[in-house]
Amino acid sequence: MRQAETTRTVNLLKEVDVAVIGAGPAGLAAALACAEAGVSTLLIDANDAPGGQLVKQTHKFFGSERQHAGTRGIQIPSLFTEKLANYPNVEIMWNTNASGFYDSGELVLEDEKRFMKILPKRMIVAAGASERFLIFRNNDLPGVYGAGAVQTLMNVYGVVPGDRVMMIGSGNIGLIVSYQLIQAGVDVAAVVEAAPCIGGYLVHAAKLRRAGVPILTSHTVLAAHGQESVTGATIAEVDKEWQPMPGTEREVECDVICLAVGLMPLVDVLWHAGCEMKYVPELGGHVPVRDENMRTSNPKVYAAGDSGGVEEASSAMVTGEIAGISAAKSLGHQAPGADARLAQLKADLAAIRSGPTGEKISAGVRCATVCGGVWE
Amino acid sequence: MRLKEHPILDFPAGREVVFTFDGKELRGIEGEPIAAALHASGVRVLRHSPVSGRARGFFCAIGNCSSCLMTVDGMPNVRVCTEPLKEGMVVETQKGHGHLPID
Amino acid sequence: MTDRPKRHDDDVIVCRCEDVTLGEIRRLISEGYHTIDEIKRISRAGMGQCQGRTCRHLIARELARALGVPQEEVEMPMFRPPTRPVLLSTIARGEGDE
Repeated sequence: MRQAETTRTVNLLKEVDVAVIGAGPAGLAAALACAEAGVSTLLIDANDAPGGQLVKQTHKFFGSERQHAGTRGIQIPSLFTEKLANYPNVEIMWNTNASGFYDSGELVLEDEKRFMKILPKRMIVAAGASERFLIFRNNDLPGVYGAGAVQTLMNVYGVVPGDRVMMIGSGNIGLIVSYQLIQAGVDVAAVVEAAPCIGGYLVHAAKLRRAGVPILTSHTVLAAHGQESVTGATIAEVDKEWQPMPGTEREVECDVICLAVGLMPLVDVLWHAGCEMKYVPELGGHVPVRDENMRTSNPKVYAAGDSGGVEEASSAMVTGEIAGISAAKSLGHQAPGADARLAQLKADLAAIRSGPTGEKISAGVRCATVCGGVWE
Repeated sequence: MRLKEHPILDFPAGREVVFTFDGKELRGIEGEPIAAALHASGVRVLRHSPVSGRARGFFCAIGNCSSCLMTVDGMPNVRVCTEPLKEGMVVETQKGHGHLPID
Repeated sequence: MTDRPKRHDDDVIVCRCEDVTLGEIRRLISEGYHTIDEIKRISRAGMGQCQGRTCRHLIARELARALGVPQEEVEMPMFRPPTRPVLLSTIARGEGDE
């Protein structure tokens, strides 16, 4: 029995104005907004560096300059951390996980060594999203990867996932990762899409077409083959009810099956906090009901980025900043010009969500926003 | 396989370290996830599932699922997709739920 | 046990932590386990290291399909801390320093 440990079991309750969970695009923007407003801010992330999933996004962003259009995703995290470093009212904890939120208002953090209890006046949940899984035979074989995993392996660590990849899903992630695989010298056998049309931007699809990759719409994967890892797959055409049509099965030679079939918001801590949740398929699953300032039904809790509904990194930076400004404002602090900035951000968000691919998101957001846009 | 050339990215040459996988000596880059080092050496089966003993590998890369749990330095259920590689680590394929080290 | 015609994808793994198959989920639904929490308690699906993050939505979808209700009407399970597995040593150490 090591005596020292028992004597060290003291109450380390720390008070902070705003705790921001997650240092991806939304959390970084939220923390910076809080910093500028002058509130004490604690930013925590389970990884050892900022950026969340930005660290693997090698493509250039679209949209407005305010959301870093023309900049590659991988370059964005340092733009935020350089600014955050100027604020003594910001503390960052890496390798730290938000373990639970309790009725007492306590947020419990854990770093694989110890627990820490925090008492935040406001909490912004920007925990991101996790990848959706798909049902097909042998879907658990080594060689079946989430698209995010392939991106991480390849773009962060420089390790290719295999020789020949079959991509499932033609949303932007599926298209972009397919193109990145080709850039890394990996063969892409096909992009398989269950819907009758391509899900992502046509610019990305056109790049693949030029590289000679077939995009098979109205197709699905039925099975992965192999004993210890993937050696091939069976795909088939689907009918209007998304059911595979007998007789259309064919074999695809591949050693990697990459799933890009969508993301689900990571919302565990929002459930802990008793926030009213709603199933909104357009936003990826269960999301918190919120007002237009990203405040949830728990007045101390805000959601930002994919935790509030799966979108893109540019909108995550906007909802993060909206949540940050609003959380600080609810504590009576705001930076000069904050109201004008808030109005600008809401206009930016509407612009990002305009256009054909934004229609679905906008419908989802309307569904998830409290009646009239404000609580009570 | 490791990428040597990439049109956009540069991969800084990290310090090479030696570790063992099921007793076999392998090399990887210090600090990269254990799973990336194994993958670069062609190892794809990381564990066998607890009930039916099915082969499982790298899947989510963000410590979310349970696909990549391995025994590292005697400790079972380590998420190797996020656990940084260190010199001399003893990495083993995990069968089932794993056993707690007793000392 | 209820007789249920075997389907082509019955042996697909839904919960990878506990190796629960789609066939087993379907059998439980046909036996009257009609919420994610009930299925979790009887089969351990969603009780493993990932705490249901991989399988929860697949079970919800299967329930919605079998019961003929939209997925938003499928009740979600309780979400309890901790959000990720914690080492026993962390629990024993509590809030201590080392």
